[in-house]
Amino acid sequence: MDLTLKLKRKKPRHSLVARVLHWLYAPSVLTCIWSGFYINRPAKIYGFRNMNSAQKAHFIAQFTLIFAFLARVYYAFQKKNYKEILPNRQTIQNLPRFVRYELFLNSKKPQFPKYNPGQKLLFTGFVLLLPLQILTGLALYFQDSWQKTTKIAKGLNYLRQLHFLVALGNAILVAGHLYFVFTQGFKTLKSIFTGYK
Amino acid sequence: MGLDGPESKTKPVVLWLGTNTCAGDLLSFLNNNNPGYQTWVNDYVDLRYDYLLGVSQGPQNIEILDSTLADLPGRYILIVEGTIPTNSYEFCSVIGIKNSEYWTALQAVRELGAKAGHIIAAGTCAAFGGPYAAAPNPTGSVPLQAILRERTVINVPGCPINPEWLMGTINHLILYGVPELDSLNRPRLFYGQTIHDQCQRRAHFDNGVFAENPGEPWCMYKLGCKGPTTYADCPSRQWNTEHVSWPVKANTPCIGCTSPEFPDGDMPFFEHLPDVELPGIRMQANQVGRWAGLFTALGIGSHLAANIVTGRLAGNYKRDLASSRRKRLLKKKILRKKF
Repeated sequence: MDLTLKLKRKKPRHSLVARVLHWLYAPSVLTCIWSGFYINRPAKIYGFRNMNSAQKAHFIAQFTLIFAFLARVYYAFQKKNYKEILPNRQTIQNLPRFVRYELFLNSKKPQFPKYNPGQKLLFTGFVLLLPLQILTGLALYFQDSWQKTTKIAKGLNYLRQLHFLVALGNAILVAGHLYFVFTQGFKTLKSIFTGYK
Repeated sequence: MGLDGPESKTKPVVLWLGTNTCAGDLLSFLNNNNPGYQTWVNDYVDLRYDYLLGVSQGPQNIEILDSTLADLPGRYILIVEGTIPTNSYEFCSVIGIKNSEYWTALQAVRELGAKAGHIIAAGTCAAFGGPYAAAPNPTGSVPLQAILRERTVINVPGCPINPEWLMGTINHLILYGVPELDSLNRPRLFYGQTIHDQCQRRAHFDNGVFAENPGEPWCMYKLGCKGPTTYADCPSRQWNTEHVSWPVKANTPCIGCTSPEFPDGDMPFFEHLPDVELPGIRMQANQVGRWAGLFTALGIGSHLAANIVTGRLAGNYKRDLASSRRKRLLKKKILRKKF
C-alpha cells in the first residue's frame, strides 16, 4: 500500500465550522457559569473586581453563547450531523457495554463511531439545558419587556431559581465533559484544535 | 376618561370590600396625605361601603350594596382587599346575610365585580394571593383576577400598600381613566421600575460592597434583598406619610412584597433564592449547589482515582503517544522516499 495514502486525511473528526463554534461557546459557557456564581453569591474567590465587572463578563458571554449555540444548531441541521450527537436506539443498546467499561467491570474498551453513549447523553444534556438557560437568562435580562414570561414562571424570583438550577446542571455537564476529555488521552483533545485525531 | 370626567359634579361611587384580609391595606391607606383620608371621603368620592369604617351594619350594609348594584351598574369603583376563599363552601369569608343565606365573598365579588365600572385589587393578597394564599393555603384562597377572569382587574400590590399607590390609582381612574398597566396589571406609574434600579445603595451593589450582617450600611443583596426582582417605587416615594423612610433605608432588605410570588417565592427572606422543593425534601438553593458540587467532585475524583489505580489513564496516554510516534515515523519514511 502507498504510504502517502496511509497518511491521507480524508475527513476531519471535527470540521472547521464546528471547531470555531466550539471555541466560541466553550469559553462563553465557562464565563457564564463562573460570573453567574459570583452574581448569585458575590465572593472574592471568583476573581471579579466588583459586581459591575462580573455582570459585564456575564452579559458579553451570554450573547456570544446565544449566537454560537444558534449557529451550532443551524449547522447541525444543515450538515445533518445532529445524528452523531443525539442518542438513538443503538445508543441505548450500547449503553450497558459503555457503563460496564466506565465502572471498571470490563477492561476492554468498546469501540463506538465518533461519540460513545456517554458523550451522546452529555451533549444531549447540553442541547436540552442550554435553551432553558438562555431563555431564563433572557427573561431576567429583559425583565421589563419579557414580563409575560415572568408571569408564566409565577415570578422573577422563581425564574432566578430555575436559571440557577439549570446552571448547576450545565456546570455538572461541563465538569464531566472536561474530565473525560482530559482522561481519554490527548488525541481526542487534539482533534478539537486541529480537527484530526 | 374617568367614570364621570373631571367636569362632573357627582362624586364617583366607591365600594370597598374586605374579604380574607388583615385590613393592613385599609389601615395603610388611612395614612395618606394630600389628600388625607377625610378630605378624600368628603370631597373626592362617595364611599358608600367600607367593610371596616362604615357606620352601617347588618342588613343596611347589604341594602347599600344591592341598591348600588341596581342603580349604578357600570358606574362604581369596586375595591377588593384580600383573597377570595374557595374551600369549605366558601364560608371562610362571609360578607353578610342576604335573603336569609350567607352571602360569601366569592358570591359578592362575582356579583359586584360583574357590574363594576372599574375593579381594583388593593394589596398583594387581592392582586396575587399573597400571605392568605401562601402554602398550604387551607382556605383555597385565590386572587381577584382568578374569579373575575373576563374583567380587567387593576392590581395595586403591596403588603401593605403604600397609601399613595392606591390613592393615585383611584384618582387617576376618576380623572383620566385606567392608568398604563404592566403585564401583571400593575399601574406603571408606581410599579414601572425595580426597587434595585432606584435604590440609594445601588452604587454599593455595582462596586461589590455588600453588607454581611443586617444593620451594615452597604448593599443588602447578600442578605437576600429582593430589590432586583421587585417592581415598586419605594426608594423614591418612601413611606410614613411624609416620605421619610423605606425598608432598605431602615437597614432591612426588601422582601419583595409587591411581587406575584410573594411570600412563598421570596422566602426565606434573608436568602437570595427561594428554597428548592422536591417531594419530601426542602432545601436552600445554595445548599443544592453545594451538594451538587460535592457529588460531582466525588464522582469525578473517585473515577479518576480508579483510572489511575487500574493504569487506564496512563494506558490511554501511552497509546496516543505510541500512535503519534508511529505517524511521525511514517512521515519520515515518506520524506526519505521522496528525496
